[in-house]
Amino acid sequence: MGKIIEIKNVTKEFKVLNRREGLKGSLKDLFSRDYKIVRAVDNVTMSIEQGEIVGYLGPNGAGKSTTIKMMTGVLEPTSGEILVDGNIPYKNRAKNAENIGVVFGQRSQLWWALPLIESFKLLRDIYQIPQENYEQMLELYKSLVDIEPILHKPVRQMSLGQRTLSDILAAFLHDPKIVFLDEPTIGLDVSMKAKIRTLIHELNRRRNTTVILTTHDMGDVDALCRRIVIIDKGKMLYNNDIEHLKGFFGSYRTLKIRLDGDLEQWAQQLAQELPDFSVSADDEWISVLVDEEKAKVIDVLAGLQKKYRIRDMQLEEISTEEVIKKIYEEGVQ
Amino acid sequence: MKLKKYLSFTRAGIIEEMQFRASFIIMVVGNLLYLIIVYFLWKAIYASSGSEVVNGMTFEDTLIYLVLATALFNFLDLYVVWQIGRDIQSGKIVLDLCKPIEYRKYIFWSYSGSFVTHFFLTFLPTFIVVSAVTHGAIPLGINLLFFMFSVVMAISINYSIDFFVGTICLYTQSIWGINIMKQVIVLLLSGATIPLAFFPEPLKSIMYYLPFQSIYNAPLSILLDGDPSVETLLTTLGTQLFWTVAMLVISKLFWKASVKQITVNGG
Repeated sequence: MGKIIEIKNVTKEFKVLNRREGLKGSLKDLFSRDYKIVRAVDNVTMSIEQGEIVGYLGPNGAGKSTTIKMMTGVLEPTSGEILVDGNIPYKNRAKNAENIGVVFGQRSQLWWALPLIESFKLLRDIYQIPQENYEQMLELYKSLVDIEPILHKPVRQMSLGQRTLSDILAAFLHDPKIVFLDEPTIGLDVSMKAKIRTLIHELNRRRNTTVILTTHDMGDVDALCRRIVIIDKGKMLYNNDIEHLKGFFGSYRTLKIRLDGDLEQWAQQLAQELPDFSVSADDEWISVLVDEEKAKVIDVLAGLQKKYRIRDMQLEEISTEEVIKKIYEEGVQ
Repeated sequence: MKLKKYLSFTRAGIIEEMQFRASFIIMVVGNLLYLIIVYFLWKAIYASSGSEVVNGMTFEDTLIYLVLATALFNFLDLYVVWQIGRDIQSGKIVLDLCKPIEYRKYIFWSYSGSFVTHFFLTFLPTFIVVSAVTHGAIPLGINLLFFMFSVVMAISINYSIDFFVGTICLYTQSIWGINIMKQVIVLLLSGATIPLAFFPEPLKSIMYYLPFQSIYNAPLSILLDGDPSVETLLTTLGTQLFWTVAMLVISKLFWKASVKQITVNGG
């Protein structure tokens, strides 16, 4: 397996006008030369192998889309190098475009007024897909999802789920080496999400397509990605396997207990008693995040049971979601 | 192979147009209303002037010119500025830039289907009706061939102007004002709403130096002149050719520089 994407020390800076407040301020802004430099992506280095599915994660505004736009050639990096299948994307946008497919969850690349099949035919001609390959791809699609009912439906009459599905199929149609999926499951119901995950997984497996997936849904990550890259405020925080990531936090478990009375008050009291751990309360449970390197969960529970009447308890392994949340909030130490 | 890529846009455009039957009917009705207003307006103008011939044109000449100009307008008018503006505001332009096709060509060929449908559904019927009603006021000869060339160049110039104005949206992020301004300038200075003969002298000469008259005035004067001198013909078509090339180069370079701007500074 060769490296399909290589990013070396890439930084992207934007010049943003400092806006002032109010009517007077906005009039002044018209003639203002008062710019500030915003660093959206800060010295990111990574490489991606052919056939991988990589989760590209980060809170809103972390610089994910900017990185993707640089990989598609729409943005030019301020410094650093990007190679996508041997091309420098912004210098060679048309050449690069043949190798990539793009889905932005919020927007559609399909022809709004036309039936899906017509959009496919247009894409076939734009990408100059040989008829044979085009038909093979359609056959593959038919075997993976039930596209007959939507194939002759105008895109504007589709539900969001159908449209997203169609957009993903459209992005894979020319059998690109890399597909960028930007929040593909946003706003979809549970069964549609599952369908789309299976579809992405199958297409990746059968065509050996590299997939770069940005999402806020950890279900997507758990279902699809073996490796994740996390960035925040433009800086790369993490770039490794998911398993490895859980290893970081593997020693953490959450102990949930229920006591009689006001849980908030109990939580405050417990927080004083257990200064090493973070204690929080919601409507039903008091949660104690236990670091097992400091104390075993069993011991904590036994200690609590001696003092209080615990009505119910639960033990939770930390989920990817919580790991990510912890990284967003605290970073990787 | 290359041409097929573009013709499939034309095909899709035609299918797309056919999806909206109601809007087509509304367009035809709207035009009829507009033509009725034009008829009474110019009737009043001629009546108040007290002479048969104003600025070298009879009432009939003027009316034929304006009816055909309206038909031509229906066929040439584009929503390119709106579309580029919307693509920029919604960010869809990123998707379009990720396709292995030049954006300028992409938009043009997306419209090519509507050129074809509007030519057959609005211009041609109007032309036939006008020429039947006026019993040969429109000469039917070699001028039709020159007219075809002229219209193709008019399409190109009109598109380049629209694309140029659309590109400005990359900087301003707003469309409405710019589009209205373009619309007014083009319609007034091109001879689409008032024949060029009616403009006062210094203005008229200036208008012949601008690209706009090449869009409406040039093809219509070729169509309506049954026996043009070679010199007139060459001047008209030559001017059009000049503007076709000039506007193509200008709008292309402007777009290239502007896209460079977004790739460096972000959209």
